Amino acid sequence: MELILDIKTLAKNMWKGRSGYLFIAPGYLAFLAFLLVPLLFAISLSFYKSSFDISARQFVGFEQYLRLASDPVFKKALLNTINYTVVIVPATLLISLVIALLIDPLGMRLQSFFRGAFYLPGIAGGVILSVVWLWIFNPTYGLLNYTLGLLGIEPVLWLSSAPQSFWAVCAVVLTFTVGQPIILFLAGLAGIPQDVLDAALVDGASGLQKTWYIRLPLLRPVILFVLATQTIQVFQLWEVIFMLTRGGPYNSSTSLVYLIYQTAFISAKYGKASAIGVVLLLIIMAVTILQMRFWKDTDL
Amino acid sequence: MSGFPIYYRALEKATKLLSLLLLMVFAASFLMPLYWMVTGSFKLQTVTMAVPPEFFPSNPTLENWQNLFSNMWPVWRWVVNSVAVSLLTVVLVLLISSLTGYGFGKKKFPGSNALFFILLSTMFLPNQVIMIPLFLLVRALHLTDTTLGVYFAMALPMLSSPFGVFLIKQFCSSIPDELLDAAKIDGASEWVTYTKIVLPLLKPALAALSIFTFNQAWNYFMWHMILAVDKFQYTIPVGASFIARTPAFGKTVTNVGLSMAGGTFGAFFMIVFFIAFQQYFIKGITIGAVKG
Repeated sequence: MELILDIKTLAKNMWKGRSGYLFIAPGYLAFLAFLLVPLLFAISLSFYKSSFDISARQFVGFEQYLRLASDPVFKKALLNTINYTVVIVPATLLISLVIALLIDPLGMRLQSFFRGAFYLPGIAGGVILSVVWLWIFNPTYGLLNYTLGLLGIEPVLWLSSAPQSFWAVCAVVLTFTVGQPIILFLAGLAGIPQDVLDAALVDGASGLQKTWYIRLPLLRPVILFVLATQTIQVFQLWEVIFMLTRGGPYNSSTSLVYLIYQTAFISAKYGKASAIGVVLLLIIMAVTILQMRFWKDTDL
Repeated sequence: MSGFPIYYRALEKATKLLSLLLLMVFAASFLMPLYWMVTGSFKLQTVTMAVPPEFFPSNPTLENWQNLFSNMWPVWRWVVNSVAVSLLTVVLVLLISSLTGYGFGKKKFPGSNALFFILLSTMFLPNQVIMIPLFLLVRALHLTDTTLGVYFAMALPMLSSPFGVFLIKQFCSSIPDELLDAAKIDGASEWVTYTKIVLPLLKPALAALSIFTFNQAWNYFMWHMILAVDKFQYTIPVGASFIARTPAFGKTVTNVGLSMAGGTFGAFFMIVFFIAFQQYFIKGITIGAVKG
């Protein structure tokens, strides 16, 4: 009797909220069709062995995952992805924070000029920047080796030797990742109330002390946001690797996403590529949950 | 400030000058690759390979640009493709996000929290995971057979934008309920309320979202790369990457000057777009992160 009543009220509430369902319907259907169902399909595909003809796929259980565990190229890609993150994310954070702190005290016009200047490479995008970096990194007539030569350093094979290729990719990525955090930090710095800084000045705090004890703690939510978004972005690093090194030499600069691209869209091994994708998904989920928890703990 | 001794003022001025100088050096080094690319596009093949390199083209040439616009590469077609794909994505994302975001933000219905949570949990989903199923779908439907089909296929993975829905929902919560109730009392239908009252109020959020989406769609390189089967289907970044990585017929090395012209051409449109809409770009970046 109670259950029937519950269903009745539920139906009544659903009928009352029908306009809500109608409003979300187009978006939610698109979400189901082009995101959620594909995601579930990718997860299921990771339990199959599948080549170009997807209808001929064979169920293999966890075999793809077990194979990955002993696959040296996958291990290298996983390790590289972690290394890219460990190098690029802190470097991006530090450089963009320093630049933002330098820009912050300037007048409106200079602020917007520098903000634009540092954001410009990101607008051009990693692919376009890689086009010119291919030339800059050229061992015989590239700008970089010429400049290093002036300092007496022998020519370096930036893109065709390990571990130089890894560092080359890191450097190029850094030239276009700092723009976005700089804008975020500047917005955060502008939000710090002037009276707090004035009070510190009256108390005799120096510029550096104000930065260390007031600005940085107040920027903490923005710093955490930048950390989270940058980590997720660098985990998906691909285009620069594709343009500069194709993962080489000997997979020394490959990444998980580059491996997915290679496995799925060059070798047409859809099952294996899906399994790598699921591993990437799990890592990103873990990182997100960890960072969210950290966020909660800090009360921000 | 008058209480401070003069030397303090001088020190302050010196720090300001020093930090400005430091910023200039930073900015110059970050912009150097772009400078090198633009000037490189005006250098002859022999000059681009010269050691020591020429920092400013002493004999600027238009040869690379003439080559770029010759019939070898349909570069204007790439521009059309990029603009079409990005605009299509923006229109669809705006439509879908505003409807769905408003539904979640202002409508009460059973299951709304659960449905929203499922949507939101995919916000940080790495796109490459769903590219395989979507590619198989596009292939099965033969979407790449027609131009319109290619455009739609290229927009496909970005259509359901959890970020867009989240953004609009947040923005909707700042619309007072009384306003919507008043419209209802005045006899406005749901649809009229949405188009005449809600949408105008959402304008700033929609502007930021469209700039953000346009930029993202423009640079959605991997997916465009996978889908484009011939050079008439390339978008600008795909085309520029091909010029930079494939030597001309019968040659063993790529033509550096031509590559730089391709890169400059590719960067040009987005940079103009950025300069024109800088304020919205910045809003689009900060809107999700800094409250208020």
